[in-house]
Amino acid sequence: MTPDENVLSEPQLDVLAQLMHGGASEASTALTRWVGKPTGISVDSVEQIPLSKATSVLGAGDEPVAFCVAGISGRLTGQLILAFDDESGLALADLLLGQPKGTAADWGEMETSAALETTNIIGSAYLNALARTLPAHDGTSELLLSPPRFNHDFAESLIEFALMTQVAGSDIVLFARARFRIDGEAVAWTMLLVPDAETMSTLCKLLRAE
Amino acid sequence: MSTPSLPMGGWAVAQDGTVLRTLLGSCVGLTLFDATHKVAGLAHIVLPRSQGETETPGKFVDTAVPLLLREMGRLVQAPVTPTACIAGGANMFATNVVNTIGRQNIEASERVLGEMGIPIVGRHCGGEKGRRMNVNTTSGRISIEIVGEPPVELQHNTLRVSAPHG
Repeated sequence: MTPDENVLSEPQLDVLAQLMHGGASEASTALTRWVGKPTGISVDSVEQIPLSKATSVLGAGDEPVAFCVAGISGRLTGQLILAFDDESGLALADLLLGQPKGTAADWGEMETSAALETTNIIGSAYLNALARTLPAHDGTSELLLSPPRFNHDFAESLIEFALMTQVAGSDIVLFARARFRIDGEAVAWTMLLVPDAETMSTLCKLLRAE
Repeated sequence: MSTPSLPMGGWAVAQDGTVLRTLLGSCVGLTLFDATHKVAGLAHIVLPRSQGETETPGKFVDTAVPLLLREMGRLVQAPVTPTACIAGGANMFATNVVNTIGRQNIEASERVLGEMGIPIVGRHCGGEKGRRMNVNTTSGRISIEIVGEPPVELQHNTLRVSAPHG
């Protein structure tokens, strides 16, 4: 595949953003039930950027971040990533464990488990809703999330790893980014949906056909 | 002085104590160092073969190595006789596809460097963690940082005797 085949126009990106936004409401409902507070999730962008700029999408790449990654299979294939800076991630653990903010100081077993379960709940709800809004393709009707895995590493290393299958085919990479609010406050969590090369090719064909 | 961290597919050559940096996941950081001229090059390699792609030579093993050699020689205005170090190729989430690419990058680096007669004198590859790689262009010393672990140092040979490149 040449790089040009992977480049979408602005209107096509808008269509894709609307599709990606379809799952946010359901994911937000699931997150509200999970944390016991009002939440909001918005897919605020679908970005298509040069490879050379891709590794900065989570901010300063030199800073370690906590993140959970789960594979996506079915109609779309790729990876779903929920990333937190340490303060926000540990605050989530405090919230779920019913303890005062600032109690969790490190990524122990309980804190890691809270992050993983949150990823599972948000990711599954998001993909279930997304599966109902995506155009049919090859008779496949579902989107499945693999069990997420936790890591604490450089943000740039994470993004590089997640984009690895896309960059084999193109110097332009695409991902959707969601942001979160809990109890009216913005929290420093980022959810990224990163299609792999095969899905990129499928998406481009579907969007061009519309 | 440190350069900005090299992005995926990025490359740089420098001397006079400049520190070249990059952050690696499953990609491979390949560095060349010539102790005589105290010049170093670093490429953030993404894939093993260019297959005719020439716009991003730092992205591929087979184009990055000749590029670094040429640009190091151009910078010091003399042929260079470097040694090599490689780092990276992590499999951060045990994904088979990505693991294969990382391993292929390492193997391609070994093969291309071997074909060009450039010895690999240090390596820090594999595992499940990302790496920050800092290369001192005067000393040839490489610092590998991994989150939650003590840093590791690699050292380019201070002397290499063979036919120069360039």
